[in-house]
Amino acid sequence: MTEFKPDILAFCCNWCSYAGADLAGVNRLQMPTNVNVVRVMCSASVKPEYVIKALSQGIDGVLVLGCHIGDCHYMTGNHRTAKRIPLTAKVLEKVGIDSRRVKLDWVSAAEGDKFQQVITEFVEEIKGLGPNPLREVRF
Amino acid sequence: MRIAFEEMKADRLLTARTEHGNVAPVLLARGDEPGELRTDVPYQMANILLRVVPYLGSDKIAVVARRCDEKAIAEMSKRGLLDSGKISLIGLACDAEQVSECRCSDPCPSKVHIGECVKASPTDKVVEDLLAKSISERLEFWTAQFRKCNKCFGCTSNCPVCFCDECLLEEKTFTPEKGIPPGFAFHLIRSIHLADKCVECGECERACPADIPLLALRKMVNRDVKELFGFVSGDGETTSPLLTTLDGDSMEGDNDVC
Amino acid sequence: MTVRIGVFICHCGHNIASTVDVEDVVEYAKGLPGVVYSGRNLYSCSQEGLTSIKESIKNNELDRVVVAACTPRTHEPVFRRACEQVGINKYLFEFVNIREHCSWIHTKEKEEATKKAKKLVAMGVAKVALLEPQEEGESDVVPKAVVIGAGLSGLSAAAALLNQGIETHIVEKEATVGGILRDIAVIGPDDVDAQELIRSLTETVEKSPKAHLHLSSKVTELKGFIGNFELTIEGGGKEETVQAGAVIVATGGVEHRPEGEYGFGELKGVITQLELEKILGSGELGARRIVIINCVGSRQPGREYCSRVCCNASLKNAVRVLDTDPDASVTIVHRDIMSCGTVAEELYREASDRGVRFVRYGLDQRPEVSSEGEQLVVEVFDETLDEKIDLESDLVVLATPIVSPGDSSETSKLLKVPRDKHGFFLEAHVKLRPVEFATDGVFVCGSARWPVSARECIWQGQAAAAKASIPISEGKVVIEAITAVVDPEKCAACGNCVISCPYDAIEIVDTESGRAARVSEAQCKGCGTCVAACHNDAIQQKGFSSRQLGAMIDALIRATAEVSR
Ligand SMILES: Cc1cc2nc3c(=O)[nH]c(=O)nc-3n(C[C@H](O)[C@H](O)[C@H](O)COP(=O)(O)OP(=O)(O)OC[C@H]3O[C@@H](n4cnc5c(N)ncnc54)[C@H](O)[C@@H]3O)c2cc1C
Ligand code: SF4
Ligand code: SF4
Ligand code: SF4
Ligand code: SF4
Ligand code: SF4
Ligand code: FES
Repeated sequence: MTEFKPDILAFCCNWCSYAGADLAGVNRLQMPTNVNVVRVMCSASVKPEYVIKALSQGIDGVLVLGCHIGDCHYMTGNHRTAKRIPLTAKVLEKVGIDSRRVKLDWVSAAEGDKFQQVITEFVEEIKGLGPNPLREVRF
Repeated sequence: MRIAFEEMKADRLLTARTEHGNVAPVLLARGDEPGELRTDVPYQMANILLRVVPYLGSDKIAVVARRCDEKAIAEMSKRGLLDSGKISLIGLACDAEQVSECRCSDPCPSKVHIGECVKASPTDKVVEDLLAKSISERLEFWTAQFRKCNKCFGCTSNCPVCFCDECLLEEKTFTPEKGIPPGFAFHLIRSIHLADKCVECGECERACPADIPLLALRKMVNRDVKELFGFVSGDGETTSPLLTTLDGDSMEGDNDVC
Repeated sequence: MTVRIGVFICHCGHNIASTVDVEDVVEYAKGLPGVVYSGRNLYSCSQEGLTSIKESIKNNELDRVVVAACTPRTHEPVFRRACEQVGINKYLFEFVNIREHCSWIHTKEKEEATKKAKKLVAMGVAKVALLEPQEEGESDVVPKAVVIGAGLSGLSAAAALLNQGIETHIVEKEATVGGILRDIAVIGPDDVDAQELIRSLTETVEKSPKAHLHLSSKVTELKGFIGNFELTIEGGGKEETVQAGAVIVATGGVEHRPEGEYGFGELKGVITQLELEKILGSGELGARRIVIINCVGSRQPGREYCSRVCCNASLKNAVRVLDTDPDASVTIVHRDIMSCGTVAEELYREASDRGVRFVRYGLDQRPEVSSEGEQLVVEVFDETLDEKIDLESDLVVLATPIVSPGDSSETSKLLKVPRDKHGFFLEAHVKLRPVEFATDGVFVCGSARWPVSARECIWQGQAAAAKASIPISEGKVVIEAITAVVDPEKCAACGNCVISCPYDAIEIVDTESGRAARVSEAQCKGCGTCVAACHNDAIQQKGFSSRQLGAMIDALIRATAEVSR
């Protein structure tokens, strides 16, 4: 059997977490190659539909990263993220998709090391969970 | 039944009666011949109400509403889709048979005009069974269920709180092109959309030709919403927590300076 | 619609090329849908690189461009400009980050990093194919300003605006100007005559033909956005509508009244600091033994902040008492003395040198005030002596914090600007955007923001005026291009977006296709919060539409399958 290489999507807000990811790069912090970053302006623009779409089409895990609460470039944008994403995870769980496949975290522009840590841990977590079962489910 | 016109001083009454041997909705004006009125309405009055209201102008309307109709109307009014000032509710208490069929946990209207309240269904066996399953069993269960879906949109069009003119699920953005059966995204997206408004009327499940236990899915998600945010759909006051800030507000913050 | 996409992969010298096989990625990109050109550059952002990109755009008649290089956060403007120079709308450009997000963080995994770069490029190509040209709007600015509150900070702001020749409306709810300073004679620590200060500022205002002072008035409505506000001012039974390009909030604070604490309101001779200021101003101080208790109602659970001005006011007043009556005895009962800075610290020294007694108390053992016949007794546990002492006095002065005025929540709702948990107004960013609210064109200064000294009131008032004058003197404001837009045909008028928008930029209006949401483009900041709240995709963010992001997800799935084959 070949080694399981999870395929992960990460939404990063432009102002904090995308900048945090940039900082991790500038500091050459090494991390697994499985995570592909999509830039959005604010974590609050991440529709639960994106998360659902990605997972139901076989992506192994979805990360949503934003500014810490209180630091959102759009004041309270991420307050909504803080509710929508956990709910999305719970809904997935109801139909048999492990809620750990969706993770919400806050990474500031200064937290390159936290970005590295979040990515590394999430990839490990997903490796532990194995491939997304929906990869195999054909409709 | 004339409470509508005398007590409530309404100009119209929305109720149901026998038409050609079936139950059908009817909009009566003062002095109209009532015909054989019915209380065993097999769909959401709220849904019909939403559709007739645009034609009423400034008329006041009374509507025969069960608890779930009432809650759906509240969800609609909260969103400005109905003007609650122009609507009077004639509370219809569901009978025991209805309650057990709907596995209903909240059958008693806030004000009863017709019938008598009976006890709510304590638990929903379908839900309990599903929650008792392991996660992989659940996946197996729902995969089998969703495979039966033929994307007829019966669930969305009969749902009183699915009031979008054009449903997102008719497009390909989030649900894969190939289509039928539509896969998990279709049902999950609906679950998310209904998370802060489903009133557990069970209309979707009744409408589904594939017998997918949609109400059970709705109830499980509603339970999550209650656990996470303490929010229960169906009142006209509380703003959905999914739209507000963490403090439940739209204009607060923290000034941690000096 | 067929598109002609060009993909440019950057070596960034060794930065990218030493990890990612650039040539391999270039070849891969050639096969992506819509791509008609794929090439590479040693340094894309160099003059040479940009020239070659522009040539390729022209030679291949490209209409959309993807550059895979470093980070859009620093380099996007460079490439957008290059696109514009050869006639491509700058919003038809997509940046893919294969340096910070790939080569630099996977230096030892060349093969995997190359695969990842391919996926990221595929996602960028999928997005660019669906991008639409956007225009940055512009709107005219009404060359007037409104200042709410005519205390020291509001008057300072107004005077600064008027000195620049900007027509200014000043709205004050009381019948007189001056705010807190109405009751203060001397401003410490450097003994400025408060009344003279207010008088000279008022004179500037009154002399200016461009000033409109609305006393006993309030703003009751605010509509519009930066450059084009419309305010309703109500006062004296009259209602007036004024247009303005900018609004400054200078509503200040009020002294906290500690009802029931330390005998306040019950015992004769227990007063607040502001009342002492008034007595000293009138020159009729009868008392000879004075105890000032600091931090009454502040720095404690429920109101944790330090009001910053009270320690200095206590020191100032202690010295002023001694100035009027050198034989008086003054004790300051405090928790810490916050007399930061050079002048204030000198005042502290002066007070000690002149015999003011300082007794330190702790929150767990607060002083107690009682009356014994004609005199008051303050019983306090002196932390330094480690014992209880009784201070006999004629006057007990409670130094209470400045708190936000009772109607500040009204102001907050009216202007749609946020407050902190104590009711003070919150700036957009404390460090980076002082005196600005997140709402463009609305500014804040003085004790409305949190308790500040008179000096700070003046400079904040002037700072707010300076910032407010920027759009006014430019005459135009640029409107964000990546705003949200509603498709009224689809919109169900459910209001989800309206509630979610942190800027209150959306309203439900009647349109040709029935009731629907409408985004005020000048107010929208382009965060997309509303987009995620809309169920049926009726509202979209320009440049980040759900079709575009959906296509990126599809592309990732497709590319993963392709590269791992
Ligand atoms: C007892 C005491 C002693 C002090 N001593 C000193 C000192 O020695 N040295 C020093 O530097 N600082 C001192 N300060 C602090 C200083 O006086 C204040 O910070 C300063 O005066 C605040 O000015 P302001 O214009 O920001 O607010 P304010 O003076 O509070 O003025 C605000 C104005 O806005 C008006 N207003 C409020 N809401 C509205 C509304 N909705 N519509 C219209 N108008 C409105 C109010 O009526 C008021 O006139 C002292 C403060 C106190 C309480
Ligand atoms: S139970 Fe079904 S039909 Fe009823 S409100 Fe919920 S989703 Fe809609
Ligand atoms: S499923 Fe969602 S998009 Fe479709 S009608 Fe219901 S709420 Fe609207
Ligand atoms: S009613 Fe049943 S079959 Fe029809 S779309 Fe809904 S779930 Fe599918
Ligand atoms: S994009 Fe953000 S600022 Fe603009 S309307 Fe939507 S929620 Fe408001
Ligand atoms: S959330 Fe969507 S459907 Fe609802 S009002 Fe806003 S744009 Fe219209
Ligand atoms: S901008 Fe980062 S979460 Fe909103």
